[in-house]
Amino acid sequence: MSRNDDTRNDVSESDESRVNEKRERPGIASDPRGYWGALTGAERGVAAFVVGLLAVLLWGLISGGLGPTYFMYLVGLVGMYILLSFGLNVQWGYTGLINFSVAAFFGLGAYGTALLTADSSPLTGGMDPIFGFFPVPIVGIVVGLVLAAVLAVIIGIPTLRLRADYLAIASLGLAEVVRLVMLNQREWTNGSAGLRGIPAFFDGWPVLGTLPQAMPGLRFQELEIGLPGLWTTRILGFTIGESFWQQTMNVLLVAVFVAGTYLLLRRVHQSPWGRVLRTIRSDEDLAEALGKDTYSLKMQSFVLGSVIMALAGVFYAHLNLYVSPGDLNPINTFYVWIAVILGGSGSNRGAMFGGFVIIAIQEGTRFIGGALPDTLPIDLPGFLAVVDSTYTTIVDNFASTRLLAVGIIIILVMRYRPEGVLPPQRELIWPSAARTADVSGGVVTGSQVDDSPGPDDEPTRAHAGVNDTVHDADDAANDAVTDANATHDDAESTESSTSAETTESSTSAETTESSTSAETTDDVTSGGDDDE
Amino acid sequence: MSETTQRLRDGPNLEKDDVVLEVDTLRKTFGGLVATDDASFQVERGTITGLIGPNGAGKSTLFNLITGFYEEDSGHVSVNGVDVTDAEPHEVAEQGLIRTFQTPRKLEGMTVREAMLVGAQDQIGESFVSLFTRPDEVTEQERTTLEDAHRILADFEIEHLAAQSATDLSGGQMKLVELARAMLAEPEILLLDEPVAGVNPTLANKLRDQIARLNEQGVTFCIIEHDMDFIMNLADPIIVLDQGSVLVEGTPDAVRNDDRVIDAYLGGPGE
Repeated sequence: MSRNDDTRNDVSESDESRVNEKRERPGIASDPRGYWGALTGAERGVAAFVVGLLAVLLWGLISGGLGPTYFMYLVGLVGMYILLSFGLNVQWGYTGLINFSVAAFFGLGAYGTALLTADSSPLTGGMDPIFGFFPVPIVGIVVGLVLAAVLAVIIGIPTLRLRADYLAIASLGLAEVVRLVMLNQREWTNGSAGLRGIPAFFDGWPVLGTLPQAMPGLRFQELEIGLPGLWTTRILGFTIGESFWQQTMNVLLVAVFVAGTYLLLRRVHQSPWGRVLRTIRSDEDLAEALGKDTYSLKMQSFVLGSVIMALAGVFYAHLNLYVSPGDLNPINTFYVWIAVILGGSGSNRGAMFGGFVIIAIQEGTRFIGGALPDTLPIDLPGFLAVVDSTYTTIVDNFASTRLLAVGIIIILVMRYRPEGVLPPQRELIWPSAARTADVSGGVVTGSQVDDSPGPDDEPTRAHAGVNDTVHDADDAANDAVTDANATHDDAESTESSTSAETTESSTSAETTESSTSAETTDDVTSGGDDDE
Repeated sequence: MSETTQRLRDGPNLEKDDVVLEVDTLRKTFGGLVATDDASFQVERGTITGLIGPNGAGKSTLFNLITGFYEEDSGHVSVNGVDVTDAEPHEVAEQGLIRTFQTPRKLEGMTVREAMLVGAQDQIGESFVSLFTRPDEVTEQERTTLEDAHRILADFEIEHLAAQSATDLSGGQMKLVELARAMLAEPEILLLDEPVAGVNPTLANKLRDQIARLNEQGVTFCIIEHDMDFIMNLADPIIVLDQGSVLVEGTPDAVRNDDRVIDAYLGGPGE
């Protein structure tokens, strides 16, 4: 900092203006309008989409079109797709590994736990708590994940030494091999009959196992609302019972899985480990030339992603309570690919959004088809009968349009936004190091992109919000301000509920007392997550 | 330079004192084409050794063989006395031999600063497990690396690029960043593959100054270059490759005036 001492007086003015220009990220609670204004166009679109979808679902729930139990089941499926997208994001988004056997790893997780716990399992024939009290699904998780990890290593050994394309081809074959094994090894897997009688995840646990039965059943009285004489509709009129609570437990379970995975991935994504993976994705030769063991790192990434996919499979088995070889169909792999591509490769938030959209398409097509009238509401003249019959055909088979919807989405994304809806926008540097590093300009890891990449913009990445041209003039006070903003951003943008510690210590160590802008630091009382 | 390199030699000078990189009768064929024909040479510590030769002389092949990107048919390579003949590229790099590429490699989605950090060697944080078992050490090392990266960028007078997208740079800036990143690896010897190809003269001069500065600080260089002005003003000794093996080695002046070298470049009568 000493080299800046003589320049401080000259630059304090420009500092102030820079502080004013700096785009801070206000809290959503304290300043909702400001929070909205600080979002990028894409983030607004996503937020609007999510809010809109929630409104539709809420209406479905209230109007009785969507049973509450089924609603919770769908939320569980969303969580499952988010996990699958996370897994593929580690492989493809981080490292650039093309894995077409998502369904295989998913299936291994599902079958791993199902074979251990299902009543109809040819291997164990139902679950008995191990040692009389240890819940079997816990073992199921371990078995499912270990199976996936072992298979990932086996397929990785020959293919990861080669270029990415070979893994793609091998994984295409692998997915079919695994599916056909599940289908044909009847003495192990029951073949096409699948495995029935899988217990819910918490069955047999102390307290949690009997919680759904213990929860009260609720009856919502049917009501008639509307404008008298004009329009009325009946709402509510459903019962919440044991099965609803059961699904609620499942949703809580998958929420824990998703949150845990997300925190883990966020940490490793920002780490030197994640940085090398991103280097491999861009240029494997360069990573090698810089002394990185790319084979080992690709293997780690491949196994990690596969294990996350298997976790999704384990959850699915205990959600659906039935697994069959049909769950391993290649279409499931491609749904996950679409989720990742749509959300933005390499972006964990994007993967979440993608998982959400996939369920919206899968289930939305089903409900829209049911909601449309069976025949055209207007009478057409005879010569337009073909229109009438086409309409009927489409409505009758509306669920099939989901593939069409998926295709259109992919084309639109590729054409207008190849980087995905929510591409990673922040500089990914180990946060606690970035915050404390003594470098000119500071490192603003959490900062919003200066020029928000709208649909038409180049996908430029974070300009750290620091004036690029007068780098030498940046003094300690400026460091502190950008640092403080960084931590502020961190805390808000990730909406993490982890410990909000005061980062005064780190920033003020570099802060020189007298400067005007240094006071800004004091305003920021809540800092980010020190080690997440 | 030592007395032995003053004059021009037929073939390589293999009697250098403090050898960092030793290439011994390296041979590589692609089908019927002999790309590297029992090439041998040595790079002495503290020098800038130029590697020139007409197109197809096998310069880039030689680099790829040395750095482990190609498998040699026969011969040996050693760095600091450690045999790296059959080593993987990253193992060669771990011995302190860092290379750059002819066309600068872009790191999509990274800032210059992030792209710089990849160069650092022996990072605790590159082990998945350590991220969770030793987070404090990772933080400590990462902070040091980050500060080093900024210091090196400042030395190269491009610190203002630190937060810019690594793909938004000009070709010349990319070469500077590449060189700066290589320095973060604290190499024993740097192999540069055509550092000024496609770089405008101003930036080329800047690159030359930087290479000379780093050399004064003790970094050894081995440079392939087609730009004769650039390499003759920078390197000593110069090794001339022709048809896969070392033709002559000597001072820039001696090489420049040698008939065999001129023949090799212009396509002489042959033997």
